[in-house]
Amino acid sequence: MVRKFVELMALSLLLLYTSCMEWDYGYVEEFDTSGERGLFICNEGNFQYGNATLSYYNPATKKVENEVFYRANAMKLGDVAQSMIIRNGIGWVVVNNSHVVFAIDINTFKEVGRITNLTSPRYIHFLSDEKAYITQIWDNRIFIVNPKRYEVTGYIEVPNMTMESGSTEQMVQYGKYVYVNCWSYQNRILKIDTDTDQIVDELVVGIQPTSLALDCNNKLWTVTDGGYEGSPYGYEAPSLYRIDAETFTIEKEFKFEFGDWPSEVQLNGAKDKIYWLNDDVWEMDVTADRAPAYPFLPYNGTLYYGLTICPHTGDVYIADAIDYVQQGKVYRYSSDGKLLDEFYVGIIPGAFCWK
Amino acid sequence: MTLRNIYILLALLLPFSLFAEEKAQKDWVRKGIYIPEVTVYGQRPMKEIGAQQTKFDSVVLKENIALSMADILTFNSSIFVKSYGRATLSTVSFRGTSPSHTQVSWNGMRINNPMLGMTDFSMIPSYFIDDASLLHGTSSVNETGGGLGGAVKMSTTPAQNKGFGLQYIQGIGSFKTFDEFLRLTYGNDHWQVSTRAVLSTSPNDYKYRNHDKKENIYDEDMNIIGQYYPIERNKSGSYRDFHLLQEVYYNTGKGDRLGLNAWYINSNRELPMLTTDYGDDMEFDNRQREQTFRGIISWDHIRSNWKVAAKAGYIYTWMAYDYKRDVGNGTMVHMTRSRSKVNTIYGQAEGEYYIGKKWLFTANLAAHQHFVESRDKNIILQEGNKGIVGYMKARIELSGSASVKWRPIDRLGLSAVIREEMYGTEWTPIIPAFFVDGVLSKVGNITAKASVSRNFRFPTLNDLYFLPGGNPNLRKESGWSYDAGLSFAVGRKGVYSLKGSATWFDSYIHDWILWLPTTKGFFSPKNIKDVHAYGVEMQVNLDVALTKEWQLSLDGTYSWTPSINHGEPISAADQSVGKQLPYVPKHSSTITGRISWRKWSFLYKWCYYSERYTMSSNDISLTGKLPEYFMSNISLEKEFSFRWADLSLKGTINNLFNEEYLSVLSRPMPGINFEFFVGITPKWGTKHKK
Repeated sequence: MVRKFVELMALSLLLLYTSCMEWDYGYVEEFDTSGERGLFICNEGNFQYGNATLSYYNPATKKVENEVFYRANAMKLGDVAQSMIIRNGIGWVVVNNSHVVFAIDINTFKEVGRITNLTSPRYIHFLSDEKAYITQIWDNRIFIVNPKRYEVTGYIEVPNMTMESGSTEQMVQYGKYVYVNCWSYQNRILKIDTDTDQIVDELVVGIQPTSLALDCNNKLWTVTDGGYEGSPYGYEAPSLYRIDAETFTIEKEFKFEFGDWPSEVQLNGAKDKIYWLNDDVWEMDVTADRAPAYPFLPYNGTLYYGLTICPHTGDVYIADAIDYVQQGKVYRYSSDGKLLDEFYVGIIPGAFCWK
Repeated sequence: MTLRNIYILLALLLPFSLFAEEKAQKDWVRKGIYIPEVTVYGQRPMKEIGAQQTKFDSVVLKENIALSMADILTFNSSIFVKSYGRATLSTVSFRGTSPSHTQVSWNGMRINNPMLGMTDFSMIPSYFIDDASLLHGTSSVNETGGGLGGAVKMSTTPAQNKGFGLQYIQGIGSFKTFDEFLRLTYGNDHWQVSTRAVLSTSPNDYKYRNHDKKENIYDEDMNIIGQYYPIERNKSGSYRDFHLLQEVYYNTGKGDRLGLNAWYINSNRELPMLTTDYGDDMEFDNRQREQTFRGIISWDHIRSNWKVAAKAGYIYTWMAYDYKRDVGNGTMVHMTRSRSKVNTIYGQAEGEYYIGKKWLFTANLAAHQHFVESRDKNIILQEGNKGIVGYMKARIELSGSASVKWRPIDRLGLSAVIREEMYGTEWTPIIPAFFVDGVLSKVGNITAKASVSRNFRFPTLNDLYFLPGGNPNLRKESGWSYDAGLSFAVGRKGVYSLKGSATWFDSYIHDWILWLPTTKGFFSPKNIKDVHAYGVEMQVNLDVALTKEWQLSLDGTYSWTPSINHGEPISAADQSVGKQLPYVPKHSSTITGRISWRKWSFLYKWCYYSERYTMSSNDISLTGKLPEYFMSNISLEKEFSFRWADLSLKGTINNLFNEEYLSVLSRPMPGINFEFFVGITPKWGTKHKK
């Protein structure tokens, strides 16, 4: 009888053994985009879901390839693709919540290496082939790395900043100094001496400067978001600042309305025009003393998330994250505001990088 | 016998009938399946007229001590359980809705987290629940408001033992998992006292092949010369959960019952790393701790044709989330240190009044007063001193209902419910619900049911006040739901019973609240979607006594749940309109088969979820793929009965076919794993009530 019981169990298992999930390992796809000018789009993906992707757009053919990192490497890019820069044919993609910076061949999109042991990386800035800075959020240190060995070699500790309120963001270089905006619950721009890796000065601006750029006249541009209602750190009308890099002083402050949310300060190729998002897309000459009265592109009912200007043609690219859980869309406008192209990319397109 | 006498008899027999059910369920395990007489028309409770309910008996709930209510719902219901890993956050999607659209009550007190709106079912050990049922869609209005998907009702019941009793079970399983359960009981004609404790611990470091990343092999010049998909362990996934439940019941024997339930939870869980995380788990500590106390005192006063009851309760929850980083010298420094405290005071009064056999009037008023303190981040202010990002709020939530139920003839029942709710200072419009059921055929007990209701769900406290992002201008979600279904039941007592039902449902939800990122780097909720959730739910149950010694039972569920976004497009580029909501499977199914022979029993559990979309546009990408999966668990149990004790030995195999699967993107799930249980119930002169 016991045997019969066991036989019956075995039979029932056999009957219920239905096909299991077939796991797709993915296969490696070959790309070759050498000789092309192109645009990389970092699609953040949803925080904690590991679905960040990298898209590649060829402005000449108007062809977009999505998920190129996955397709070229048969693995995921990770969680929250924050930013990307290119140096000597290598693209450096900072994947914030995966604690990694991937180095990829910009023509084949294949990984050539990776920097790990990071806290929560945001941006990378190269000083030489063997030295770069990586800024972090939730850390009061800027990491010094050797990109050739993919190693962390040191830290720059930021004064008056704890790990919990730590936030260092975008970097630009003027001479031997690197300037960094401190964003989350911060209000300052840091000046780092790259010879000594020491912070030698800092400049207080408004609440939460979100981005940083250096124009053709060696003026730094940053825009604050003003914080938010109820924030113990404060809530104020945001401002756009022009800062003289040499003297490290504020030269001009352009005040926004209370409640505005400006972001994404970008420059054109000649670095003589500045662009930013504030519902509309705005454009201004870097020498202007007054903010423009009318936008470059008016608000069309959607919240733009990313912005870049083609350094070669002056075309303006704007990213629309739509509902943040579907493929975002990128709109390409000519420098005089005509729609030239539009294409879908990945989830939450936030950062661009020109090849 | 007069009608009044019938009711007195019913009231007096109630505790015994509960006991009979309990005993029947114990028989299930010890002696095989108890096949009751099929419920026939006219015997259906007045309270359940037209209601779509799924009840879980103690055979399901007490299957093994390692199970949480998330496991029970996964394998025994049509609800989709979204699990972030083993012993990790598990939320539910009831009829294609979001986790906060399912209202959850324990002994009548709502236990949804007032800050988040949802309930983590992985934190509810099924061994602590004696009675559980699902109220699908409209049926939840009978109990509470806000259940746009439905409600999960859980309660504890007296053990009905005489004298002292003890039960101890220990489980030892894969990944160094230890589960311990102890229950002490004492009972006499008036008192029932029970103490239950569960302790579950595990490093939970199961192995899995990581398909999302590759390890690099470098040469001396740091050129990649090889890559492979690593076999990794579930990093940072350990847990230690302790639960203690104290119950005291007093029955006067004259129609009054008093009860006290107190449940304490102490949980310490690491939050597992994503499959795409390249961090070193030794350098980070990502941990969530919780201490919760839930206490209820209750009084039921039962008379021949009326009943009044009152409850008072209190909930205290302390939650801590710590994300720490080794800064290089072994010192772990906080990156995030978040604390929240919730104090909830609860009171409820209800009454029932029968007029003859045909009318039942009920009224119910419940109040939950929440006091919430959320301290999410410590910062340095502009002036240099320290500050905290967080909020402190209080909110009163009232929910009252009145119903009239009418059974003009045995074959027909009608019910109307009116409910009204107030959160803070805002009232809902009247929430009406209508139910009807009727016996179409006495042959096969074919019964038709239908219902319609309006419903509302208020924003949670985090939706309104969380910093940053809380949006005090949110509107409450609202919806209409419709249900219609057929059921049948045939059988012969002690021989077989076959029951089944099929229900169609249709609901429209307006102003669905979603948290979306902002350009300032944080998320903020908005009323954004109109959703049409509809579909079909089917259930079937078969119990057969094959021979005197062989018993077979089969339970199956299937649901088809399209949940479609019908909102206005956010922009011209929006591709989500008309599409299935992300993470809601269109098809899901479960089968549970149990066969027993003498004191052996074998259980097979199977569930299936169709592919889930991860994008609102329903695009399937290489990085956003959640393929369908089947899951199979088995267990084999043998009971021994000695003069001095009952012993049980049980072995379980989870994920029998070692499937590699995901419930949520980047959250690895365990492969095949095992657990072995030994249970002992000493016979210290313990005598079951006869």
